Amino acid sequence: MSKYLDLSLKEINKLLKDKKIKPIDLVEEAFENIEKNKDLNSFITLDKENAFKMAKELENKEVDNLLFGIPIAIKDNICTKELRTTCASKMLENFIPTYDATVVEKLKSKNMIIIGKTNMDEFAMGSTSRTSYFGAPKNPWNKKRIAGGSSGGSASCVSSRIVPFALGSDTGGSIRQPASYCGIVGMKPTYGRISRYGLVAFGSSLDQIGPMTRNVYENAELLNILCGKDEKDLTSVDKLQEDFTSLINTDIKGMNIAIPKYFVTDIVEKEVLNKFDEIVQILKEKGCNIEYVDIDYIENAVTLYQIIAMGEASSNLARFDGIRYGYSYENPQNLEELYTKTRQIGFGDEVKRRIMIGSFILSGENAKIYYDKALKIRDDMRKSFLKTFEKFDLIIGPTTTTVAYDLEANLDDPLKTFLDDVLVIPVNMAGLPGLNIPIGFSKDKMPIGLHIIGNAFDERTIYKLASFIEKSLNLNLDPRGGKNE
Amino acid sequence: MDKLTKEQVMHVAYLARIHLEEEDIEKYRVQLKKLIDDIDKIKDIKNYDEEFLISPIEHNSTLREDAIGQMLDYKEVIKNAPNFNGNFVEVPVMINE
Amino acid sequence: MNEYKTTVGIEVHAELKTKSKIFSNSANNYGKMANTCTNVIDLGYPGVLPTVNEKAIELALRAALVLNCKINKKMHFDRKNYFYPDNPKNYQITQNRTPIGINGYVEIDVKGGKKKIRIHDIHIEEDTCKSIHNKNKSMLDFNRAGIPLVEIVTEADINSSEEAMKYLEKLRELLLYADVSDCKIEEGSMRCDCNVSVSKTEKLGTKIEIKNIGSITNVGIAIDYETERQIELLENKKDLKEETRRFDDKTNSTILMRIKETGNDYRYFPEPDIPFIELSDQYIEDVNNNLPMLAEERRKIYLKNGINEINVQKIIQNRTISDYLNKFINKNINLVIASNLLLGDIAAYLNKYEIKIENTKLTDNKFIDVVNYLDSQKINSKIFKTILDNIMEEDLSIDEILEKSGFKEINNEELIDIIKNVLKNNEQSVNDYHAGNTRAIKYIMGQIMKETKGNANPKDVNLLVERLLKK
Repeated sequence: MSKYLDLSLKEINKLLKDKKIKPIDLVEEAFENIEKNKDLNSFITLDKENAFKMAKELENKEVDNLLFGIPIAIKDNICTKELRTTCASKMLENFIPTYDATVVEKLKSKNMIIIGKTNMDEFAMGSTSRTSYFGAPKNPWNKKRIAGGSSGGSASCVSSRIVPFALGSDTGGSIRQPASYCGIVGMKPTYGRISRYGLVAFGSSLDQIGPMTRNVYENAELLNILCGKDEKDLTSVDKLQEDFTSLINTDIKGMNIAIPKYFVTDIVEKEVLNKFDEIVQILKEKGCNIEYVDIDYIENAVTLYQIIAMGEASSNLARFDGIRYGYSYENPQNLEELYTKTRQIGFGDEVKRRIMIGSFILSGENAKIYYDKALKIRDDMRKSFLKTFEKFDLIIGPTTTTVAYDLEANLDDPLKTFLDDVLVIPVNMAGLPGLNIPIGFSKDKMPIGLHIIGNAFDERTIYKLASFIEKSLNLNLDPRGGKNE
Repeated sequence: MDKLTKEQVMHVAYLARIHLEEEDIEKYRVQLKKLIDDIDKIKDIKNYDEEFLISPIEHNSTLREDAIGQMLDYKEVIKNAPNFNGNFVEVPVMINE
Repeated sequence: MNEYKTTVGIEVHAELKTKSKIFSNSANNYGKMANTCTNVIDLGYPGVLPTVNEKAIELALRAALVLNCKINKKMHFDRKNYFYPDNPKNYQITQNRTPIGINGYVEIDVKGGKKKIRIHDIHIEEDTCKSIHNKNKSMLDFNRAGIPLVEIVTEADINSSEEAMKYLEKLRELLLYADVSDCKIEEGSMRCDCNVSVSKTEKLGTKIEIKNIGSITNVGIAIDYETERQIELLENKKDLKEETRRFDDKTNSTILMRIKETGNDYRYFPEPDIPFIELSDQYIEDVNNNLPMLAEERRKIYLKNGINEINVQKIIQNRTISDYLNKFINKNINLVIASNLLLGDIAAYLNKYEIKIENTKLTDNKFIDVVNYLDSQKINSKIFKTILDNIMEEDLSIDEILEKSGFKEINNEELIDIIKNVLKNNEQSVNDYHAGNTRAIKYIMGQIMKETKGNANPKDVNLLVERLLKK
C-alpha cells in the first residue's frame, strides 16, 4: 500500500508534477487512513464523493502550486458550501451552508482537496473536544486521553497522519493547546491576518483561523495561502503579501527572547517545566539573549477571557433560534416555547452555561462592571505586550500546564476547561500570533509543546525560531511508531 | 458574589431563551455561581486608563461602495427554514406586535 | 388649580435612500416579492460578517448636519440584544454609545416666534424584517431586514399635538430636501413613535409610548387622545403604568400593546465585527458643502422672486416641482409665471396622464419660451391651454407648435388695418373715449381681439389703438 502522504510536501509535489502519482492516489490514501483510524473519531462529516470527483478533475490540470491536490481537513465550525457544517452541535446537525468561508475559497483556488470536517468542542467551547455532540475525538498518542480542544479533531487527524493539513480555529488556545497535546505544529496567526468570514463566531474579537500541520515549513506554506485582507471581513488586515517561510532555518544567534515569569510558576507541572528549561538551555547555548519579564495583567487573562468570550458568545449564538435554519423544536405552543425549547434541546450543557454567563455579564449594570472593564484591561495588557516587543523579538513559554489527560478526568469542573488554556489565552486577548511546536515527551510518552509568541504580524520570526527547534530536536512525531515506542 | 438566587438563574435563562427543567435549576445555579465567583476577580483589578479595545486591531473600517450584489432566491431562503408558508418563513404568532 | 401640561418626546425612524443595505450588498427595495431581496448576511446565517455601506454613512451624516448636531467623529456600532422573529440575528446592530450626531435641534414656528426642539441624538441602525400575522402564525419577509435607518430622538421638548405635527413636518422636509430619505410614512420609510406624558408639576408624568402612527395628522390625533385619556385616569385617581400603545386609525384612539418590562435588558456592547469609523473634518466639510439646497433657502429665493406664500408652500411640498423650478432660477425668466404653470396646468397634465415631467417632451428651452411668451403676452393663457398637449407630446419648438396650430402672429400692417376698420365702425366709442371715458377703450380692444381671433399681442394692440386714437 502506498504511503505518499508520509512524504514531505515538497516530495509529494514533485511526484505530482512528474506525474508519478495522481491526486486521486492521495485521496485514496487519506480515506484508507480514515478507515484505519476510525476509533480516533477525528471527523464529523466526510466528503468522499466530492473529494474523489475533484481529484479526478485535477488530473487534467497543471500542478501549478505546492499545495495542489493535497488533502486537507477542515474544522467543522468553518462553513463549506454544500457540505454539512455542524459546529459539533445538535443545533446544526443538518445544516448545509450555501456559502464557503473565505479560507475555504482560498484552499479551493489552490486546488487543495477537502476530505471532511473535523470533530471539535460544540461551537468551539471547551478545551477537550468532549463537548462535541458527536462524541470526543481521541489522542493518537494514547486513545484513552483527550486530543485537547476545541480543534481536537483537526489535531488528532494531523497527528495520526491521516492528512498532512488541517484548519483549526483559536479563540482562547483552541489550535495551540490540542496541537501541544497531540504533538503537532499549530499556529494562531495575528488577529486580522486571516478572514473570519464563514467561521461560525464564538468570541468575535478573539477568533482566528489557523493552520495545523506536521512540521513548521508546511505550516508556513499553508499560512501563505490563507492570509490576506478580505472585503467581507472588516477586521481582516491589509498587509503586504509576505513569504512566511522566508526566515526558516536562518541563524537564531542574537535573538532576544522573553519569558514571562508567570509562565514558569508552579501552575505548570514539573515535567513540562523541565522540558521547557532544556529548550531554554539550548537557546542560550546558541547565542540567544533570554530574559525573564513581567507582563501586566497576564495572570488575569483567563478572567478577561471568560468575560469577553462568553459575553460575545451569548450574542453570537442568539441567532440559533429554530426559525431560519438549524434544529427547531417541533409544534411549540407559542413563540417563547419555540425559542426556549429549541435552545434547551439544541445546545449542550457547556454551551448553555456559557451563554447564560455571557447574558449575565452583559445584563444591566453588569455590562459596566464586567464587560467594559475587561475591554479596558485588555487594552492595558496588549500595551504591555507591545512594550515587551520593543525590546524582544519573541516571547516563549510552555503551551500547556500538563500533558493531555484522561478522557474521563475533570468532567465535573466547569472551571477546569479555562485553566487548561491559562498559558495560551493571553495571546488571543492581545491579538498576537502564537505557535505550538513539539519539544519532547513526558515519561508516559505524551507530547509536550513550546509556545512561541510573536509581535503583531510577525509570524515569520516565530517560524524562524520554531524551525530551529524542530531541526535541532529532530523528534519522531509519528504516533504510529518510531523511537518513542 | 455572595449569593446567586434561583430567581437570578431564571432571569439569565430567560435572557438567553433557554428552558431549564425544574430539576436542573439547582445544578446550573451551583455551576454558574462557581463561574461568576471566578469572573468576579475583575472587580479587584485596577485598569491603567479609560481606553478600551473593541477588537485587537488598530485600523478603522473600510467602507463598502453602495452597489447591489447577488441575492438569494426565496427558495433558498425557505430551504433551510424549519417552517415556511409560500414565500414566507413562518413562526408561531408574534404577540408583541 | 394647576393645568395639566403635556410633554411629548418623538422618535422617528427614517430609511436611508441607498441602493444596497447597510451591512450587506442586497438591494434596498420596497414592494418586491417576499424574501427576494436578501442574502445570508441579512438572514443572520452562521459565520457571516457585516460590511458597512459608505452611502449610508454619508446620508446619516447629512441628516446629522441638517439637524444641527455635534458629530461623533470617531464612532462605532453596538449590538442591541433581544429575541424577536423580526430581528434575524437576535441582536440589532445600532449605535448606542457613539451616535453619529448628538445635541442638535430643529426650529419650528409657534405662536409668537420660533421654538427649538432639541435633538438628543441621531444614530444609524439596521431595519428589522416585516411580519404578517394571522391567528396562530406570523410570516416573515426579510426584504426589509438590514435596510439602513437613522433614528432621530428628541428631548421631551414638545408640549402639544400642534408642536408635534410641526416638528414632524419640519423634520420630514429637512430629510427630504437633504436627500436622506423618501420619508413616505404610508410606505413605512418614515415611522414615528411618541412618548406622551401629562403632569401638573415640573416633574414629568408616567411615559406612555405610542408606536408606529401612520401619518403626521394621526400623530396629532393620537397625542390629543392620549393626553385626554391620561388626564381622565389621573383625575379618577388611577395610577398610570409605563406601557406601549398602538394608534388605531379606525377609532382614532390608542390601544394597549404591552406593559413595559421593568427596564429593557438589551445588553448593549460594542460590535466587535466592525472596527471604528472615523469621519475626518475634510469629509464632514465636503458632505456639508455638497448638501442639496434645503427648503428654507428655496423658500427665501421664491419669495424674493415674487411668488406668493401659498404657492411657495405648495412648491416646497412637492420636491419634484421645486427641483424643476430651480433649474430656471438664474435663467432670467418670470418665476411667478413659471411656478403658476408648474403648479397649475402642467401639474394637472402630469396628474391626468400619470407621467413624470422628465418623461414628457417639455424641454428646458421650450419651458423658457413658454414662460417668456406668456410674460410678454405674445400668447395668452387660453392659447397656452390649447397647445399644452402639443408642448408636452411633440418634438417641436413653441414657435413651430403655434404656427402649426394656426396661431400665427399678425404683422403690424395687417393689425393697423384691422384697428382702423374697428375704429371706423365704432364711432360712438371713439367719441366716448375723446370725451374722457377711458373705459371705452376696453370695448374697442375687445372688438379688435375678436377680429384677430386672439392672435394679436394685446400689448401691441393697446399701444397701436392709443396711438391711432390720438391722431
